[in-house]
Amino acid sequence: MLSRAARPALRAAAQSAARPATLNATNAATYATLREIEGRLKSIRNIEKITKTMKIVASTKLTRAQRAMTESRKYGQTSNLVFEKAETKPIEGEGKKTLIVVCSSDKGLCGGIHSGMSRKTRAILAEKPDIELVVLGEKCKAQLGRSNGKNMQLSFAGIGKDVPTFADAQAIADQISLLPTDYASVQIIYNKFINATSYEATIIEAFSEEAILNSPNFAAFEIDDEVLANLREYSLANSLFWALAEGHACEQSARRNAMDNASKNAGDMITRFQILFNRTRQAVITGELVEIITGAAASEE
Amino acid sequence: MSSLRIARAAIRASPATFRAPIQRRGYADAVADKIKLSLALPHQSIYKSQDVVQVNFAAESGEMGVLANHVPSIEQLKPGLVEIIEESGGSKQFFLSGGFAVVQPDSQLSINAVEGYPLEDFSADAVRNQIAEAQKVATGGGSEQDIAEAKIELEVLESLQAALK
Repeated sequence: MLSRAARPALRAAAQSAARPATLNATNAATYATLREIEGRLKSIRNIEKITKTMKIVASTKLTRAQRAMTESRKYGQTSNLVFEKAETKPIEGEGKKTLIVVCSSDKGLCGGIHSGMSRKTRAILAEKPDIELVVLGEKCKAQLGRSNGKNMQLSFAGIGKDVPTFADAQAIADQISLLPTDYASVQIIYNKFINATSYEATIIEAFSEEAILNSPNFAAFEIDDEVLANLREYSLANSLFWALAEGHACEQSARRNAMDNASKNAGDMITRFQILFNRTRQAVITGELVEIITGAAASEE
Repeated sequence: MSSLRIARAAIRASPATFRAPIQRRGYADAVADKIKLSLALPHQSIYKSQDVVQVNFAAESGEMGVLANHVPSIEQLKPGLVEIIEESGGSKQFFLSGGFAVVQPDSQLSINAVEGYPLEDFSADAVRNQIAEAQKVATGGGSEQDIAEAKIELEVLESLQAALK
């Protein structure tokens, strides 16, 4: 975004750098470029201020988001431990509907967070084109709506403004369970937080009742039949909450990095333009001096 | 000289290694009657696979006490008290608003709850006021959803009040 806006300015700068040597005589031109350079310097300084502020905002949000992420991860893992122990596998086969829930957010300016998830989703969709989608957040909705609009069943906006709460996850899980189709498997795509600079689009499985009942070690557990449906819905909400919270932390950390890079680039550009500005100004002064001296020498004779 | 010292040290060390297995077996026995508890809330994990002696909670199917080597089972929790008897002998009480408890095959207990706080953090007056409010909504002429929500709220609050007494 920033680099695209700055590119014409750079090109102009390269031209104007070549200019003083040849076009020094026409004062109007040099004054114009001086003013142009000054204007650009100002706007880049403003951009730097904005990106720096955004970086600071993202870093403060990041600490909160990371704390929420570690708790939610623990919560999600505790909730999914039972399926791990029961060795539950998603049901595959003909006529089994799969639903993918993509956990993105509404805000951009955070690197490849959203496009990474869209890419992963498209890769899965290329293999199985009849998979249906639920998209959380405007960013992935716009990206996936262009290529796979007909797969989209439901989308949610207003996500990612703040650290996600369990109530958000519950509301989404509720809407998903109200969908008319009965899905054999629900996959939640979210960004897994690896470290401060890297993340990866990952899948959490939320199993259907059928899949839970068919898992190899499930017979070991004592369970009332009517509780199973509740367990399924509850664990869907838990996994969604985990995905939302971890995705949020990834987004903040990616935004912090993106804004850090943008501020650095702006700083580089400012020094370059400053040097160019000083040189051009000096050239103009020298040119004027030469004119005065030659003028004086000519009138003396 | 130094090699002699090492040899002596080795001799001294060897009886300890013979003794060690016996000690370890004793320790293993002690571990076997503990249960690893994970009690997780969305915003906080209260227990992170810590060893405890016993956990009592209110499930939909009735009150349960879980000791080590319990039969693996999945239980839906009712809003109610969870009492945890720790290794040191002390017990802690938390009020959970509902969730799931899963006894895993290897003496692990994982409890997921939507909300939960230590019992001593609740104020009896606040509970009483909220019950009055919820009752007003439940008997009032709101929409069906409002009434249903108020009834759930009442159920939680009444069990909380009972637990506080």
